Amino acid sequence: MLRDITLGQYYPIDSVMHRMDPRTKLFGTMVYIVSLFIADSLLVYVAAALFLVAAIRMSKVPVKFMVRGLKSIVVLLLISVSFNLFLTPGTPIFKIGFLQMTWEGVEFAGFMAVRLIFLVLGSTILTLTTTPNHLTDGLEKSLGFLGKVGVPVHEVSMMMSIALRFIPILIEETDKIMKAQMARGADFESGNLIQKAKAMVPLLVPLFISAFRRATDLAMAMEARCYRGGDGRTKMKPLRYETRDRVAYLVCFLYLTVMIGLKIIL
Amino acid sequence: MGIIRAVNLIFDYIRHDEENNKEETNRALSGVSLDIEEGSFVAILGHNGSGKSTFAKLMNGILMPSDGTVYIADMKTNDEEHLWDVRKTAGMVFQNPDNQIIGNVVEEDVGFGPENMGVPTEEIWERVDRSLEAVGMTAYRLQSPNKLSGGQKQRVAIAGVMAMKPRCIVLDEPTAMLDPNGRAEVIKTIHELNKQEGITVLLITHYMEEVIDADRVVVMDGGQVVMDGTPKEVFSRVNELKKYRLDVPQVTELADELKQAGMDLPDGILTIEELVDELAAKLS
Ligand SMILES: Nc1ncnc2c1ncn2[C@@H]1O[C@H](COP(=O)(O)OP(=O)(O)OP(=O)(O)O)[C@@H](O)[C@H]1O
Ligand SMILES: [Mg+2]
Repeated sequence: MLRDITLGQYYPIDSVMHRMDPRTKLFGTMVYIVSLFIADSLLVYVAAALFLVAAIRMSKVPVKFMVRGLKSIVVLLLISVSFNLFLTPGTPIFKIGFLQMTWEGVEFAGFMAVRLIFLVLGSTILTLTTTPNHLTDGLEKSLGFLGKVGVPVHEVSMMMSIALRFIPILIEETDKIMKAQMARGADFESGNLIQKAKAMVPLLVPLFISAFRRATDLAMAMEARCYRGGDGRTKMKPLRYETRDRVAYLVCFLYLTVMIGLKIIL
Repeated sequence: MGIIRAVNLIFDYIRHDEENNKEETNRALSGVSLDIEEGSFVAILGHNGSGKSTFAKLMNGILMPSDGTVYIADMKTNDEEHLWDVRKTAGMVFQNPDNQIIGNVVEEDVGFGPENMGVPTEEIWERVDRSLEAVGMTAYRLQSPNKLSGGQKQRVAIAGVMAMKPRCIVLDEPTAMLDPNGRAEVIKTIHELNKQEGITVLLITHYMEEVIDADRVVVMDGGQVVMDGTPKEVFSRVNELKKYRLDVPQVTELADELKQAGMDLPDGILTIEELVDELAAKLS
């Protein structure tokens, strides 16, 4: 059961978007987020919507997978929409007690909702079309400059990729320990919150011990294979920009210029 | 002079208390000397706690000797400047297949060693292709290691070491966590590497049947080498082996019992075929 959890939400098909360099996709996502934050009129939102639709089509990921990502923000969406609806001052539409809905509120809440939805969809494209490994690689390379000011970029990205490798193993192990403790009469389900938390102790202790043992083993195995940090390391799969990446950068810049232009004109 | 030379090797595990004072020392190896010839297949046997793993870890500088020296291809393992060459020369495969695979994709894991060594990209690919081919895992190269069986994971781990082009491989109970099929798979792979690539193999194991085909068997007990010879020589000393709490292969034990019961059989029978031949000759 627990082992069926898949990590990330990569959707494995072949598309231009999938083949694009992760750095390009990271950049594109960033540009898109920035553009959403400067957007403040209908036309600009239409432009953002077009860009998004184009990107979704290029990724070839079925729309229903995209929309699935929205489920997680429904609550957040509802809260922010209702706050905006009722708490924005302006010309009132109607009034219930101290709450009043205003025209400005409706407009603001509408934009707010669209902005949030676009934001989530935009970043979902990134995670649906990029494997976690690629994403880590892309982050390592894009943030490489931080290494010069002492941020351990390589180490952090190595940690991320090791975590990705071990999370499923640890989940499986949790499952095993849970069953072993249940066979000894442990009860993880009943009782109030505190009792449940207490019941977790016999689960967490062995899990931690085993995680530490694995960590020592792994460190030893890495050293035995000549690992000594990021310096002097070559890459089996170095990131390389292709024509499609250059085109994508160009499109992103154009898009951003248009968005800023629209904002200034309107 | 062999590719691996251990001279009077002593190793103490030292436990420190909170103030970093020595609290307890535990002598795991007390004077081990071994000389292993290049290209040979050497098996190390020993009861739990006899110091086999400690010995293995000393072979590529994961542990440093408390006293004595290890030479790998004439380089001292405790020379700081040679450490990385030592690790390139003597690869290491561990017991737990899960805890030694670093990559999220099989081929990336195999490429991990060469990447660390700074091998150029094209050559990494060549090495990865060859190593996966050599262990018969090419078909799985794009899979996640989590989806492989234990035996397959161990073969990936062996490929990962192979890709570093070592001259010898030390395997510390690589089959301990595998089922019989996985075990046979891994042992076959190791033998092939030894025969075809000429890589020196140092195989630590608990399973007697894995030892029979070795060129040389070393038995350790209490941190010392207590027996050393060809499988035939070692297994002909059944009583001595029992003293070191080791099992002998079942056929060998049967032959030994028959001999003690008065039958005239040669020492060191290791396979069923051998025993059958001997008995057939006796009975006809
Ligand atoms: N990390 C450690 N700290 C302290 N003592 C240790 C440590 N590892 C091993 N020892 C001790 O060193 C001795 C040799 O251990 P070693 O692990 O080398 O044996 P082994 O032959 O590999 O045994 P096994 O067959 O169980 O793997 C044992 O007495 C053990 O208790
Ligand atoms: Mg051991």
